[in-house]
Amino acid sequence: MDVAAHTGTVANPPRLAALLAEFASPGALVTAAEQVRDAGYTRWDTHTPFPVHGIDAAMDIRRTRLPWVVLIGGTLGCLAGLLMQWWMNAAGPEQFRWVPTFLQGYDFVISGKPTFSLPANIPVVFELTVLLAALAAVIGMLAMNNLPRHHDALFSVPRFRRVTTDRFFLRIDAHDPRFDTQRTAEFLSSLGAVAIERVETEEAPARWPRPLVVTLVVLAALALFPPLVVAKARLSKSPKPRIALIQDMDNQERYKAQQANTAFLDGRAMRVPPAGTIARGEWRDDAHYYRGQVAGDWALTFPPQIRVDRALLARGQERFGVYCAPCHGLGGAGDGLVHQRALQRDTPGWVQPTSLHDPLARGRPVGHLFNTITNGIRSMPPYGDQIPPADRWAIVAYVRALQLSQDARLEDVPPDRRAELR
Amino acid sequence: MHRPTLDIDAEGRPLGTAATRLAGAATLLGLLAIGGSVTLGPQVGWSIFFRSYLLNYSYFVSLALGALFFVMLQHVVRAGWSVSVRRVAEMIAGTLPWLAVLFLPLLVPVLRRWSDVYPWTDPGTVQSDPRLAAKAAYLNVPFFVIRCAVYFAVWSWLALAGLRESLRQDDTGDVRHTQRAERRSAAGLVLFGLTVTFFAVDVLMSLHPHWYSTIWGVYFFSGSAVGFYALLIVLLVALRRAGRLTHAVSSEHFHDLGKFAFGFVVFWAYIAFSQYLLIWYANLPEETVWYRPRQGDRWWIGVSLLLLVGHFVVPLLALMSRYPKRRPHLLVVAAVWLLAMHWLDMYYIVKPRPWLEAGASAPLHATDALLLVGIGGLFVAAIVRRMARWSLLPRRDPRLVESLSYENV
Repeated sequence: MDVAAHTGTVANPPRLAALLAEFASPGALVTAAEQVRDAGYTRWDTHTPFPVHGIDAAMDIRRTRLPWVVLIGGTLGCLAGLLMQWWMNAAGPEQFRWVPTFLQGYDFVISGKPTFSLPANIPVVFELTVLLAALAAVIGMLAMNNLPRHHDALFSVPRFRRVTTDRFFLRIDAHDPRFDTQRTAEFLSSLGAVAIERVETEEAPARWPRPLVVTLVVLAALALFPPLVVAKARLSKSPKPRIALIQDMDNQERYKAQQANTAFLDGRAMRVPPAGTIARGEWRDDAHYYRGQVAGDWALTFPPQIRVDRALLARGQERFGVYCAPCHGLGGAGDGLVHQRALQRDTPGWVQPTSLHDPLARGRPVGHLFNTITNGIRSMPPYGDQIPPADRWAIVAYVRALQLSQDARLEDVPPDRRAELR
Repeated sequence: MHRPTLDIDAEGRPLGTAATRLAGAATLLGLLAIGGSVTLGPQVGWSIFFRSYLLNYSYFVSLALGALFFVMLQHVVRAGWSVSVRRVAEMIAGTLPWLAVLFLPLLVPVLRRWSDVYPWTDPGTVQSDPRLAAKAAYLNVPFFVIRCAVYFAVWSWLALAGLRESLRQDDTGDVRHTQRAERRSAAGLVLFGLTVTFFAVDVLMSLHPHWYSTIWGVYFFSGSAVGFYALLIVLLVALRRAGRLTHAVSSEHFHDLGKFAFGFVVFWAYIAFSQYLLIWYANLPEETVWYRPRQGDRWWIGVSLLLLVGHFVVPLLALMSRYPKRRPHLLVVAAVWLLAMHWLDMYYIVKPRPWLEAGASAPLHATDALLLVGIGGLFVAAIVRRMARWSLLPRRDPRLVESLSYENV
């Protein structure tokens, strides 16, 4: 009645859940189980204090399907291991820009191996296969046995308590299609049952034990704290140094590039690469493309890799705006913001940046312009380390266009647009 | 539950005179094949002849070593299930004294100091090679001969003492024989681990004395175990054909032998891959040099891939399920396949010539096949001769009943 008061539902009278027969010995139980099996019952079970030989066959328990679950788990682990390593190191982040940065891979070259190389992947694939196969075995076993469960109607039968010491039980569920209270009870006693009990259950919502509920609520509340602390730390600023959880990863015992080290004759910690070493991707034997030279002279044309078209000019205009315009000005007259500011402040020794429309600049071959961007000239610093070669060529193309725009004759303008110039 | 009665003496009775004749024929065939291969010697070249010999010799000695390991392991863990298959394994291990005699021809290239077989035996090669000179304290001819003598003395003693003890128990039924075997096996397994590791290093790894792999002994052992379980399965099926062990060795025992074969196939792959991965990753010239001739041309790439597929993938899938392991007529197919693959593994270890660039040597020779028949004939004869005379079951072993009633859960 307590239940009804709390939940607002009406408790039903106790309902018959199963009939429970007790047997004196494992032998009697096996014999009885064979009879129950032969009588065609399907919803029934036996309960014993220890594994009983022959009970599987007597109950007609088929071989478990658990191996298939394990196989699926293992296969998933194998594929997950391959996919994970492919994503982390071989997917190529530039093709997946739409993925949030913290989920992107690294594209590291390790020991000069390909970024996706099976031999290196096998240990991780192997471990993940084993891990997921084992988890599938444990979780699958629990699920197939309907575990865990915190209550069963059988526990309300006092006699059943001896099942863990010295008694053997056979239970036929009331929802078995062949179940009939009267006839099933007679059948069970004909099998030699020592006693037959009614297992009854109340048709009421199963209530969780109060201590369990309290514990879960407290744990759930406590579990909110760590994410809250993390969220606060991420959203606020602090003058204190950050907490290093793993000290020897944050402060590694190692030499940094410019430190001294007496272990080497030259006293430097940083080792000089052997003469002739070329870093990965730094092999530059194309003099035209990388240095703007053809047979030792400044190139008069663009290298074959560069196609001069509208897209290249647009790129060149954008890069010019970023790197060149601050000094040379958007129009290239040498009147950029830096120059104007220097005049304002009356900076001593300031020399105006060269106008790109100066006859000297206009007459330079494209290779020379490229070299000027790469290595700098007079007081102009080199930009070769900041601007990739293709972008430098794009800027050169744009500078040429800029020069043409300031040195055009009327005939250069298409006839139908000439009117606009007036 | 009802169990059929079992006549142990009929189940395990010796094969008798027919088998003695079979052993005689195998001996004759073996001697003829060895003689034939010797006459081919000058034609193919003696260094190739001795490589062929070493290839097939290593193959059969590894099978016997696998058997020795199995017998001692069963004693140390006091296994009950394996008693009914143990006598056959003891007889396989019992070939080790004969194999010690068959090792003697391999001393010819060592004592004649032919650098084509073992480069470290030749003083000229050692002098001009600082790395060999540094290893000369270990890799020198007298010490090599002494070590090999120790290995074969230890193995022959362990194998013969085990077999004699077991045969004596057939008459006396004394439990003390079992207890003695257990004590000897505990010490024997330690000796076994040491001797097999050093044997593999001395006889197989030193073919390429610049190269070293710390896992080498385990690699040789894992392949030996695979080969032995396959051989035991084949012999048991053959004995059942001959009307022996029909009930004493049941599908339960085949199931367990199949599990062992499966397990060691995976173990072999694990070890082989561990060796490969570290060498591949570090990519150091003194280590990759061993794989260089084995991946240098189409033939050896094919052999490598066939090993990967045939020694691992195929048996892994074939033996994974319970179904074939419990059916001797299916299991024996897998066993024959594994015996062939184990031979291929030995071929892969012994035949590539380290000092030559890839593709410079003909990979297969008539002597390979002739000596397989030759040493194999003598090996089989040594087993069958014992089968003809002695009981095929340890009929009064205290754990025989446990073995006969054994069931996998």
